[in-house]
Amino acid sequence: MIAFQLLINGLIAGSIYALIASGFSLIYATNRFVHFAHGTTVTVSAYLLFALFSRLSLPFFIASILTIVGSGFLGWLMYVALYRPLKQRGSSNAILLVASIGLMILLENLMLLIFGADVKTLNYLTVSKGLEISGAVITPLQITIIAVAFVLLLVLWLLTRKTKLGITMRAVADNEELARISGINTDKVAIQSFILGSAIAGLAAILVALEQNIEPVMGTSLIVKGFTGAVIGGVTSLPGAVMGSYILGLAENYGIWFLPSGYKDAIAFVLLFVFLLWRPTGLLGLSKGTRD
Amino acid sequence: MFTPYATHILILIGIYALLGLSLNLVLGFTGLLNLGHIAFFGIGAYTSALLTLAGVPFPLALLAAGLLASVFGFFLMLAVRKIKGDYLALVTLGFSFVVYSIFLNWTGLTRGPLGIPGIPKPSLGMFTLASNQGYLVLVLIIVVLTSLFLWRLTRSRFGRVLEAVRDDDLAASVLGKPVFRLQAQSMMLSSFIAGIAGSLFAHYLTYIDPTSFFLSEIILVLTIVIIGGLGSLRGSVIAAVIILVIPEVLRFVGLPSAIVGPMRQILYAVLLIGVLLLKPRGLFGRVDLT
Repeated sequence: MIAFQLLINGLIAGSIYALIASGFSLIYATNRFVHFAHGTTVTVSAYLLFALFSRLSLPFFIASILTIVGSGFLGWLMYVALYRPLKQRGSSNAILLVASIGLMILLENLMLLIFGADVKTLNYLTVSKGLEISGAVITPLQITIIAVAFVLLLVLWLLTRKTKLGITMRAVADNEELARISGINTDKVAIQSFILGSAIAGLAAILVALEQNIEPVMGTSLIVKGFTGAVIGGVTSLPGAVMGSYILGLAENYGIWFLPSGYKDAIAFVLLFVFLLWRPTGLLGLSKGTRD
Repeated sequence: MFTPYATHILILIGIYALLGLSLNLVLGFTGLLNLGHIAFFGIGAYTSALLTLAGVPFPLALLAAGLLASVFGFFLMLAVRKIKGDYLALVTLGFSFVVYSIFLNWTGLTRGPLGIPGIPKPSLGMFTLASNQGYLVLVLIIVVLTSLFLWRLTRSRFGRVLEAVRDDDLAASVLGKPVFRLQAQSMMLSSFIAGIAGSLFAHYLTYIDPTSFFLSEIILVLTIVIIGGLGSLRGSVIAAVIILVIPEVLRFVGLPSAIVGPMRQILYAVLLIGVLLLKPRGLFGRVDLT
């Protein structure tokens, strides 16, 4: 059954997009600017994993932990070195967006210089025979991807609902000025969400690196997907971002039934157009403050 | 007159100055953060290349390149007329990605990643512009005419109303100014010039492929406009010279070409970020990016 296989492929893609979108959405909600270089955090983390695991031959588990720590650190560094100084100058969102695109180009080319243009593979898992479920094929790794994404997103959701950190973040997301007046250190919250969001991107990078090749330009396409997923669901809403990512993953995979696979990115952009133009708050987003 | 090398750099400077000038009209004078400008450049390049290969004379193909880009400019403006700021930036960026994937995937028309080789040099009847020095003259004439035209335009009543729309579109519309019409006119003119630049690019290199119209080129043009300063035509031209000459130093240092490419991009990104951090108005900017 092609339809069933496409459903599974859509869920796998959607899981990866959901991890990227949730990190992006977390950062957007507390900072209110588009951190386009978020996709490049995934790229850099994937290369970090490659360097630790394939070059330094560390055990996979340790290399993965270090990768997640490293990506959290990268998020911190991006905020402290670039975004905070810009914010303190009173830069507009447009400037922050342009700066983040600049940052993305900078890091992508840095990876290109260090690791070369050829694609890298981890070769951690030997290619295993896929399981067949009523005619569709799914590998154990792909089941892991879906499961890890599901568990992590659940943990993240609980974190924003039940913990003090999460509640503070949501307070800032809801109304930054009011949060500051009530004594919340908004700068600290911004840093925390950059670290947490980037660490999630690091985890996504591990899954991406296991599933496909690592190349310098992969971040652009990933952030387009993550961002689109976030916008479809409502960019400030975590459950929305996750739902939007799965919708996107499914739409893309069913879309290539009709279109050449090269149009995958274009499908994402058409959905992005439609939502930004007609429903910029997304399916579950806040109705205010998302569009100024 | 010039060495072949200097001629080559000057032609590219001319083409990118046209892109910078036209983006500045929309970004600096009209206040629309358009990240899709490179798509108009690409549409112009492909239009002109395909038409001349089909036997259309160069001047007509050049005009058609500008006009088709302009039509796309109108429809893009129509689509984004209600959104602003970073949302506008993302939709226009999306527009350029969609155009890029069409170049890449509509292989029946564009030959996809193989690109289009053998684009003829400009000719009119018996006369063919085969030498690069002659081409430089053509590019310079177009750059000078465009600069003069934009210089007059931005100082005219039309230009002042455009700047009023940029500074406060609500106030302008309360005063009875047709905001959307002005924005659309500015966008169409800007994309027309970008289309012309695309045509000049295609016929100069005689080969185009989709990679010339992707994200890294958007950054290049954006860097030119921001370094030169929003709302300064002189700034865009001067910045085009600076931005295209600086990376040539890398070549003379003797770096291998596999390193020169990424180094150029890193240099542009660092310049862009540095300007945003230290001097966000660029060299001659009069307004902030909002």
